[in-house]
Amino acid sequence: MSTPILTIRGARRRYNADTPALQGADLELQSGTITALLGPSGSGKSTLLRAIAGLEPLDAGEIICGAQSWNGNGPAVPPEKRRVGMVFQDYALFPHLNAIANVAFGLNGSDKKKRALAQLEAAELGHKANAYPHELSGGEQQRVALARALAPNPAIVLLDEPFSGLDRRLRSELRARTIASLKAAGATALIVTHDAEEAMAVADQLALMGGGRIIQTGTPDDVWMNPASAAAARLLGDVDVFTGKVANGQVSTPLGDVPAPDFKPGQLVDVLVRPAAISVIPADDGAYALTECRSTGAELAMTLKAADGSHWRASTPAPCDLRTGDSVNIKLNQTFVTVTNSAG
Amino acid sequence: MAVTGTAAPRAAQKGFNATSLAVVAALICAAPILVVAWIALTGDTGDYLAHLAQTRLPTYLTHSAYVAGVAALGTGLLGTSLGWLIARTQFPGREFLGWVLILPLAVPAYVAAYAWLDLSTAGGPLYTATNGLFPTIRGSWGAGLMFSLVLYPYVYLLARDAFASQSADAYDAARTLGSAPWHAFMHTALPMARPAIAAGLALVMMESLADYGTVSHLGAPTLSIGLVRAWSGAGSLVDAARLSLVLVVVALFIFGLERAQRRRARSVTGSGKTRPPQRFVLGGWKGIAALLFCLLPLALGMFIPLGRLAYLALSEPSTTDLLDASLNSLTLAITAAIIAAALGLSTAYALRSKGIIATMSARAAGLGYAVPGAVAAVGVIAILSGTQQILDPIWRDLTGAVFPILLTGGAAALIFAYLSRFAAAAIGPAESALSRVTPALDGAARTLGATPLQTARLVHWPLIVGGLTSAGLLVFVEVLKELPATMILRPFNYDTLAVIAHSYAADERLGEAAMPSILITLVALLPMVFVARYLSSRSAGGQDR
Repeated sequence: MSTPILTIRGARRRYNADTPALQGADLELQSGTITALLGPSGSGKSTLLRAIAGLEPLDAGEIICGAQSWNGNGPAVPPEKRRVGMVFQDYALFPHLNAIANVAFGLNGSDKKKRALAQLEAAELGHKANAYPHELSGGEQQRVALARALAPNPAIVLLDEPFSGLDRRLRSELRARTIASLKAAGATALIVTHDAEEAMAVADQLALMGGGRIIQTGTPDDVWMNPASAAAARLLGDVDVFTGKVANGQVSTPLGDVPAPDFKPGQLVDVLVRPAAISVIPADDGAYALTECRSTGAELAMTLKAADGSHWRASTPAPCDLRTGDSVNIKLNQTFVTVTNSAG
Repeated sequence: MAVTGTAAPRAAQKGFNATSLAVVAALICAAPILVVAWIALTGDTGDYLAHLAQTRLPTYLTHSAYVAGVAALGTGLLGTSLGWLIARTQFPGREFLGWVLILPLAVPAYVAAYAWLDLSTAGGPLYTATNGLFPTIRGSWGAGLMFSLVLYPYVYLLARDAFASQSADAYDAARTLGSAPWHAFMHTALPMARPAIAAGLALVMMESLADYGTVSHLGAPTLSIGLVRAWSGAGSLVDAARLSLVLVVVALFIFGLERAQRRRARSVTGSGKTRPPQRFVLGGWKGIAALLFCLLPLALGMFIPLGRLAYLALSEPSTTDLLDASLNSLTLAITAAIIAAALGLSTAYALRSKGIIATMSARAAGLGYAVPGAVAAVGVIAILSGTQQILDPIWRDLTGAVFPILLTGGAAALIFAYLSRFAAAAIGPAESALSRVTPALDGAARTLGATPLQTARLVHWPLIVGGLTSAGLLVFVEVLKELPATMILRPFNYDTLAVIAHSYAADERLGEAAMPSILITLVALLPMVFVARYLSSRSAGGQDR
């Protein structure tokens, strides 16, 4: 792995006694990659982002960019000296400046209007250069905000839930556009989101956050296939968890035995089962009962009840003529099953 | 520059300390009330007050309640209906009227009272024309009526903005649940606007309690009248302080009501995305009726009084030289406006730091809003004479000479009293102007390379300059109109336009009172046009954060 452009070590931040926002977060950003920071609300994502921008002080820990320490011993480097571009959740466009003046705000020199216009044209907003923020649609505001952040050619671009204010259709279009712009600029980017699908769609690297810490990092595929914990797995999608003890290199679950070769006998483990792991086979004398059946269009989402009364989610490509109340047998695809140390 | 809680280097934040200025503002605003309360509670009971309590106090209280009640009823009906018409309907002239309807705030209530009493008194033109059927405008109900005509903009502004910012969802939900339009309005839109309307009514009541010129001209013996009589008639500071305390307690009660209602108004309006309601299009005679209804308060509160006074001024040419008084009025108003705006801005910045001292100072300074001018004047007198008593012996020991008399210290004492009453009026607008500068804007500017000072100059200043100017201009208008504090505190031979108008009107020399009255109103109208247009453009702008 190449040397990271940004390293965060043991970042801690506490707003008041009860609510620590960051409790020792560690993260590395690789040059030219897009990293998605995924976590539930209140997990400290935005605080971490603001700390990187220098808008939030750290109580402890370090942020190092290249060879320079931003937060460490001595005074913190102020935001304006960090060469960090930021797209805010509500865009924070200056309401008294038009689009081109917003984009030109971070630029210097006699040709700054020209460069700002070029940036706006790259975002296909050249024709709105003189429009004020309130005259722009939500999607256009987002594009101006991104153009403004990219214009000074920052070392790192931070995006705080940049698509959250937009409707679904516009969101996927803007997502593709944003990624294209970031890639074209060769930017190193960190995108905060609480939407797993979005994180998977945009990221070269995923960083999962929970309780003020980074709980797992890796490529989207790797993280999805090999979640480090039940909490990490839940962040990326539906998962059912069975907690049991290892015996003879495997765990007995209501869905059958699952191999656990890397764990000691008697160890308490979590078995994480994604709905895709369960294939349903109709059978009149099946061991499982379908308690819920709902089509999502492309898929049929089901809940089934095992002999011990536990419920499991499964999915199968639609159309399919299964009905609620049918009894079925199952086949477990171990690719979508992960065994991890139990959280307790 | 204390910009926000950003991780700016400490040194950069030292430039100016907003919190200490907020503390100064709080001291200026709160000191007179505190001193008044202290004197009232510790001083000897004079004969005057004992006598007063048995005889006049109940009268003062009843008339104060009567005047404030009529004013509240009148401004409530006028302000709410005008607010709804402008915010939720469409008719010819609506946009223009939207801001013009605010202008009567520039007319001092006593000026309206001079004109209307003159018109309706026995032998006056209205009396003659209607054969005495038109009632003479006087007494407590007359004063309440005058306040209704010139103070309704307080209710109108708050009601209009509440109606305009309401989401249509509640109203539509009521319609789908079977309510007719009128029923749906009465049960959703009106209750949602009620806290804002109540806050406006509280402002109106505080203003009418603080008034001296109107009630004295129309013969409504309110607490303010008693207060001025206690000081200038009986010359008793303790008695004046006691009456002040009664007045302040009443005003503070209303003030508390206003603050509580404003908090509720925010919660009722809600945040987030709201769907703006559709305007009812009033076509044909309905549109004309709406137009005429909106013109009515303008005619009654502004055009008719000004017209009558202009007629009087022209028919009995004045012999008074108003130049000195005009200069005095302008100097006082401009000085007070600039200082108040500066204190308001510092307090708003201090509030942004969310520090506990800053918040408490801002709240204490806000109390000044409830201090009637006469009370502020009594407080300032008490402070000055107290200081005098302390300094006199020290000064004599040091220099052997007599210490210069502070009470005749002149305009500075007046400015002190104005500020303690009106600085609070600048804090609110400054705060709301600064609230447009969200922390994210600071963050955006800083990450784009602006230093804290550049952020203040390039982002803060353009966004707050309008609100700050409007706050300063409001204080300018208020000081120009101010009468009771000026009467009590002005140095010997130091006149303002308001004082000259009042003295002539009190002598029934309305021809001489007309010119200064017109001057006050016209000079107040210009800044009022700016304020009105600013307040209306912001609410019409809608999406503008």
